[in-house]
Amino acid sequence: MCIDEALLTSYMDGELGEPYRTQTEEHLAHCPACRARLDRLKAISKMLSRDDVDEVAVEKAKSETASLLERKFFSEDGRRPAFLRRRIEMGLGSMITAAAGLVVVFIGGFVLFGTSSEQTSEIIPSYTVQADTSNVHFVSTQDRGLDGYSLEEILSYLDSKGYDVDISIKGLQPIE
Amino acid sequence: MEIRSTDKESFTLVYDGCYRVLIRICYHVVYNMDIAEDLVQEAFERFYLKNMTFPSEDEAKYWLIRVVRNLALNHVRRNRRESTMMEKVRQRSSGGANARDAQKELDESETIREVRKAVSGLPENLRMVIILKEYGDLDYKSIGKVLGISEGNVKVRVHRARKKLEETLAGEEAYVY
Repeated sequence: MCIDEALLTSYMDGELGEPYRTQTEEHLAHCPACRARLDRLKAISKMLSRDDVDEVAVEKAKSETASLLERKFFSEDGRRPAFLRRRIEMGLGSMITAAAGLVVVFIGGFVLFGTSSEQTSEIIPSYTVQADTSNVHFVSTQDRGLDGYSLEEILSYLDSKGYDVDISIKGLQPIE
Repeated sequence: MEIRSTDKESFTLVYDGCYRVLIRICYHVVYNMDIAEDLVQEAFERFYLKNMTFPSEDEAKYWLIRVVRNLALNHVRRNRRESTMMEKVRQRSSGGANARDAQKELDESETIREVRKAVSGLPENLRMVIILKEYGDLDYKSIGKVLGISEGNVKVRVHRARKKLEETLAGEEAYVY
């Protein structure tokens, strides 16, 4: 009687205990049909093993991830962010509770030590600025600028103030 | 030896012992090395942050495999459409140096494509068992512990999975022999 295929699978995987293993080996030695079935099973396994990861890529990934985890969890400067990270990673429920707590404290602060307008005015004296004719002074009250005077007027003004002004025109020699 | 996940020595021991298995398992669920790398990293971060104690290295390994498996399955469920598209692009962009290499690579990638199709086509309970067996190099007992099923159940699932794969891949035997 030939071997059950499930038994062959276990035999191939090295999972068959005694005495079944020896019995299976003895049977395989003289049964070409069962050997062929075992070969077929091995072929499937071999085919699957062709689709394997690239060992070089695995080693690279392993060392990259190792140094990253080392930095994150086991280096001296890495401890702080890891600790912070652990604190930040909390469930949605506790996060909502924490947020609600903050809101309560914030509002509670106003209710207990709340701000009336008198208290505010004690701390910050009120100060308002309104621009009107009483506090805004125009720098110049005259409606006539320097452009409104002729050269003679300017010269006579300066002369009256005691300045001696000499004026010449470019490119012209004064008459001796 | 008791494993404490925040202890550096324990962490390194588990990391060195498990990384390869985890990335292989993860890769064969998501079929993308970058994503597998990210997910395995996330699993180790959770491992550290949970601050857990395990009675043995094996127990820590089973826990990590469970986490990686869940992360990978969730990722696939979320990004089913995107990952298929990326896979198509990736396969198209692969090319060989000369004609013979190209042909060989074409055959190889054809085989890989068929294998992936066959494995992805398995029902989830069979698929995970065969990934853990073939790519995780786990024995039946360990697979049972990871998946929370009995050893006998693992045996049955491995057998059924191989049977189904054999049916699907029957036409591909030319590449094997």
